[in-house]
Amino acid sequence: MSGDRAAGPLLSVRDVHRRFGSGPTAVQALRDVSFDVGTGSMVAVVGRSGSGKTTLLNVVGGLDSPDTGTVVVDGTEVTALDDDGLAGLRRRTVAYVFQTFGLIPVLSAAENVGVPLRLARVPVREREQRVARLLDLVGLAEHARQRPDELSGGQQQRVAIARALAASPKLLIADEPTGQLDAETGLAVMALLRGVVEAENVAVLVSTHDPVMMALADRVLRMHDGQIHEQEAP
Amino acid sequence: MLARRVRTQWALLATLLLLVTIGATLVGTCTLLVTRTAGQALRLAATGAPAADVATTVYTVNVDGPGAASVAADTRTALTTALAPFPVAITVRAASRMRSLPGRTEAAGATPETYLSGISDLPARAVLTSGRWPRAVDGRAPVETVVLESTARQLDLAPGRRVRLGAERSVDAAPALDVTVVGIARPRPGTGWERDPLTGAGYDAVVDNGTPDQTAPVYGPFLADLDTLLTSGSAMARLEVTAHPDLTGATLPDLHSAAAGVAGADRRLSAVYGDRVQVHRVDARLPPTLQRARDQQQVAAAVVLAVAVLGCALAATALVLAGRLTAGVRAGETTLMTALGVSRGQFAAAAAVEAGVLAVLAAAVAVPASAALHAGLTHLPPLAGSGLAVGPGTNGSHLAAVTGGALLLASVLVILAVRPGGSAGGRRTRTEMLARSGADLLLVAFAAVGWWQLNGQPTGATTRADAVRVVAPALVLTAGAALVLRVVPPVLRGLDRLARRARGLAFPLAAFEAARRPHAVAAGLLVGLACAVSTFGVAFDATWERAQRDQADLAVGTDLAVAVSGAPGPGDGAAIAAATGGTVSPATDRGIPIGQWTGGAGEPPRLIATDTRPARDLLRGRLDSGDTWAGVGAVLAPTTRVTGVTVPAGAEVRIRGRATGGLPVVVSPRLLMQDDTGMRSICTGPRTPLDGRTYRLPDCATAGGRQLVAVELPVALAEPISFDDAPTSDIAVTLTVPGTSAATAWTATSVAPAPERLGRPGVAVTRAGAGTRLALTAKNVQFSGPEEAARTLVATAFADPGPVPVAMSARLADELGTGRGAELSLLVGTTPVAATVATVLPAVPSAPGAPGVLADVDTLSRALIVNGELAFPLDAWWVGNPATADAAARATALHLGTVTTRAAENARLIGSPPRAGQSSAVRLLVLAAALLLLVGIVLHVHSDLQVRAVELARLRALGVTRREIRTTLLGQHAGVLLPLVAAGAVVGWFATRAVTPLMIRSESGAAAVPAVLPHWPWADQAVLIAVLLAACTLAVAAVVAAQTRRADAAYLRVAP
Repeated sequence: MSGDRAAGPLLSVRDVHRRFGSGPTAVQALRDVSFDVGTGSMVAVVGRSGSGKTTLLNVVGGLDSPDTGTVVVDGTEVTALDDDGLAGLRRRTVAYVFQTFGLIPVLSAAENVGVPLRLARVPVREREQRVARLLDLVGLAEHARQRPDELSGGQQQRVAIARALAASPKLLIADEPTGQLDAETGLAVMALLRGVVEAENVAVLVSTHDPVMMALADRVLRMHDGQIHEQEAP
Repeated sequence: MLARRVRTQWALLATLLLLVTIGATLVGTCTLLVTRTAGQALRLAATGAPAADVATTVYTVNVDGPGAASVAADTRTALTTALAPFPVAITVRAASRMRSLPGRTEAAGATPETYLSGISDLPARAVLTSGRWPRAVDGRAPVETVVLESTARQLDLAPGRRVRLGAERSVDAAPALDVTVVGIARPRPGTGWERDPLTGAGYDAVVDNGTPDQTAPVYGPFLADLDTLLTSGSAMARLEVTAHPDLTGATLPDLHSAAAGVAGADRRLSAVYGDRVQVHRVDARLPPTLQRARDQQQVAAAVVLAVAVLGCALAATALVLAGRLTAGVRAGETTLMTALGVSRGQFAAAAAVEAGVLAVLAAAVAVPASAALHAGLTHLPPLAGSGLAVGPGTNGSHLAAVTGGALLLASVLVILAVRPGGSAGGRRTRTEMLARSGADLLLVAFAAVGWWQLNGQPTGATTRADAVRVVAPALVLTAGAALVLRVVPPVLRGLDRLARRARGLAFPLAAFEAARRPHAVAAGLLVGLACAVSTFGVAFDATWERAQRDQADLAVGTDLAVAVSGAPGPGDGAAIAAATGGTVSPATDRGIPIGQWTGGAGEPPRLIATDTRPARDLLRGRLDSGDTWAGVGAVLAPTTRVTGVTVPAGAEVRIRGRATGGLPVVVSPRLLMQDDTGMRSICTGPRTPLDGRTYRLPDCATAGGRQLVAVELPVALAEPISFDDAPTSDIAVTLTVPGTSAATAWTATSVAPAPERLGRPGVAVTRAGAGTRLALTAKNVQFSGPEEAARTLVATAFADPGPVPVAMSARLADELGTGRGAELSLLVGTTPVAATVATVLPAVPSAPGAPGVLADVDTLSRALIVNGELAFPLDAWWVGNPATADAAARATALHLGTVTTRAAENARLIGSPPRAGQSSAVRLLVLAAALLLLVGIVLHVHSDLQVRAVELARLRALGVTRREIRTTLLGQHAGVLLPLVAAGAVVGWFATRAVTPLMIRSESGAAAVPAVLPHWPWADQAVLIAVLLAACTLAVAAVVAAQTRRADAAYLRVAP
């Protein structure tokens, strides 16, 4: 394990264990997981279904709590935060991109992108400008008023990425972002994520089965049975 | 599959079961109200009715002397048989034909008459003041009798006196009869003495006896033992046999059997009597009493059935909502099964089995639940107060209605299960929107037709619980709720536009969700309809109660009324004033012909007259169009009060007169005495010869404060003259009254019908020492024609009032085609009175819905007097603003007649057993609506949040706090709920105004008078809506809190 920046890692995961259930049916989802992610890097977490990828991402984003171990994001120990603290972390520092896009059905593309800005109570004019820029960034400026069910899967995921970037997070967590997309669309989304890393200087922790995604990542964390078995450069 | 669903979807199925059960329970309870309670109410209406209302009286006239006893016995037997199986108490009252009373000398040679009477329960109807009651005697001994105090005083009788009664005055007359007076008695007021030939007065100087002599003084009765009288050989002028059935513990079949029995008694008695009876009539009160109760019951049943239909409509709406949510939950399963080849028929069969099981289970719960609920309702007002409390029970109709209701409601689920699925994405297709619009239009059209039919109901009595009255409220409310659903989206879209410009997330997101999420029409309809129904129910109840109060006010016409049942006494007004402490007025309340018009369908125009000067205090009944009773009274009341000669108590009035021409002229003076209440009593003097001597008139001033306000002098000859002669005479009569007169302007009139027979009538009032002298004169009094021809001088302390101003009821104005300013002729008794219409009112007090006129009783009395009718038109005493709480009881204790009060009439209308069920049903409907609303809300919100659980978790992942999510969800549901509740209340208000006045009928089924005014009790409605909102908010908050806890970001780990 090594940091990516001399100033210290943006994300630091140490000795994390997570177990679900108890007794003979208990599942050890994470075992002694430790790694770092630096600012402006894209790290892919790969592994079979049930290997613990999503659990790891949830623990990193504060959606789940580890049984033991620590997770530090941008100097803040996530595992020590209460509910409001976690909410604040997600508003300012960590953003999510879900496999199933996670857009709010009743909101237009622009309104979905504006949700984090509303949470931050950004002034309306500034919010609209930022939303327009982000939609332009993901190539959906002309689809701003369309609702999710009027967009294709790839478009929805691009809206989700734009929404994730709206509040200028430092860490973007993407859980199988191309899982529901065809290869071509998935490639476009991956290219977008890669571009975001470059353009916005954010760290991206992405779980994927996609070899292309692995190829675009700065590092790959391979998970098996709740453990990181190897870390390799692409 | 059903078993598997029970395990996996038990909560959903339990909710469906609950909804079907609520609907079936409501139907079952309403069924018990219109069957079990109604039957019991009918029984109570009969068993609790006053004895007079269930009695049967056979009136026989002119019964032969030898057959009297057998006629009485046959009548007893016939009535006892007709009223079987009830035990019967028989009372008999008999009055013999008139007999002469020898040995009694009357002024001017009149022949006095008397009669015998027998009363089976005499001690209950009279008080013995001396001696003893008469006993049965054999045919040889003198008949033992009791006489009334007034008779004894007039005839100077005392116990032990033997009196010979002359022969009957008829063909085949019974011979003279000796009687022995064994006691003196006083009539008990209110015990039927009005049926006595002299109404219990004991003496009347002028009785029309139908003979050529026309009039005679009559004394009596000589009250004998009934059986002795009936076997004495005397013919009976009247024989009345009354049967009072004891209906304690009566069953409905027995009541119907007895009613049928007495209804057919007339025909059977005709065959039994043969020639022994000249005329007979059967007055059976039980059948009309039962019919009235049945009419009331049917009027109430229409409302209860309307409640059941409304409840079913609500339950069906809730089931549509639940069914759609169920279909949504099972969408995946349905898709899979369809893919596996399951046909639509198989889906329908499965749905039918599931619905059938639900219906059976719901019925199994609803039968005991509705029985228990019904029993509970009967222990609460108003049923409990009406004596209708019962334990839980059931009957065939109940079981059938609950089962049928459950099956009907469950069938909604089958229809929903087999209908084609909705479009993808929850958005409606154009076809679906068109279908909904079409359904809405159809519903509105049906509602309009229903209202139109309801509005077109006849105003007359119609008790039929027809489909229109039962279904129309549900149609109007459902159509209204469907329409207001169209109003809510624009409101929410307005909120949406505002939210776009907001900075924060929680409330804007709530607005977006509320405005943009595809709305569950069934949920919206349920909220709107439930709120409309519950507010409508509260308003209906309040309107009904107010309508009963309005009807009671107008029906009684005043605060307390005493319908006079016997001959009025001169001190009655003072006694009532002392007992009640209010504003007391004598009143007229009778049917009269107006001109040539006698009314239609046995309903003559009503004449109501009372003292209109204190109309504000005395008259009651809602007056529309801004009129007030004080204003009406001001139009009708005379400008001045009548002031006559004040006569001290016990003062002796003397009369002396002369006639020119040497003719044996006699007058029969009648003095009109006025008391403090304005009541005028006649004091009749004997036939007095105008021979220059002074005669004393009997007790005309029995109490102080009386005023002599008029004198009538019918002038006649003491002996018949030849028709060929045409003698004339001038008369001069002086009345000396030991009292003072404040007014000297008396007026003399020669009254109709032959004023020309008495010329130049005059009166002069002068002081005579401590008294007043009235000198009455007439010139050229013509004695041609029959002796009894009218030559009457009337002197009054007031002038001719002219046409009597009257307020005419709108119905009478309509039927006569007249209005304000019209001239009328009122025939009061046999005296025509000119009247002029001063104003037209919606209805006249005490005569709701009838064609009638209201007049001032003083003015009316004056008009009658100047037209030669001195008798005061007294039918009742009216009391306004009684000062004591027990005024009714105290007035009843006077035994002057039947006492009615506004409050008692209102209580009777509201608490009448046959009608009490409808209020309970309406209140139950309000509760059921609230319950269905709550269940529907919980179901909808729970389902909505389940569907959105992942979305909520993702919001948490975006950094939205739990509090913000709760705020958003509560705001979203409140945003939908509030306008729907408000819109529902508007629909309830509209339905209250449009439907309630048409649904509420009088107890006979006719349109209520005064017209029903819709009443919207703002305070009660505010409380109801607040409670509904609070309950819904609590329910939504509970569900939201639970779902928010569940939909944490960690939910994403297990979410699909």
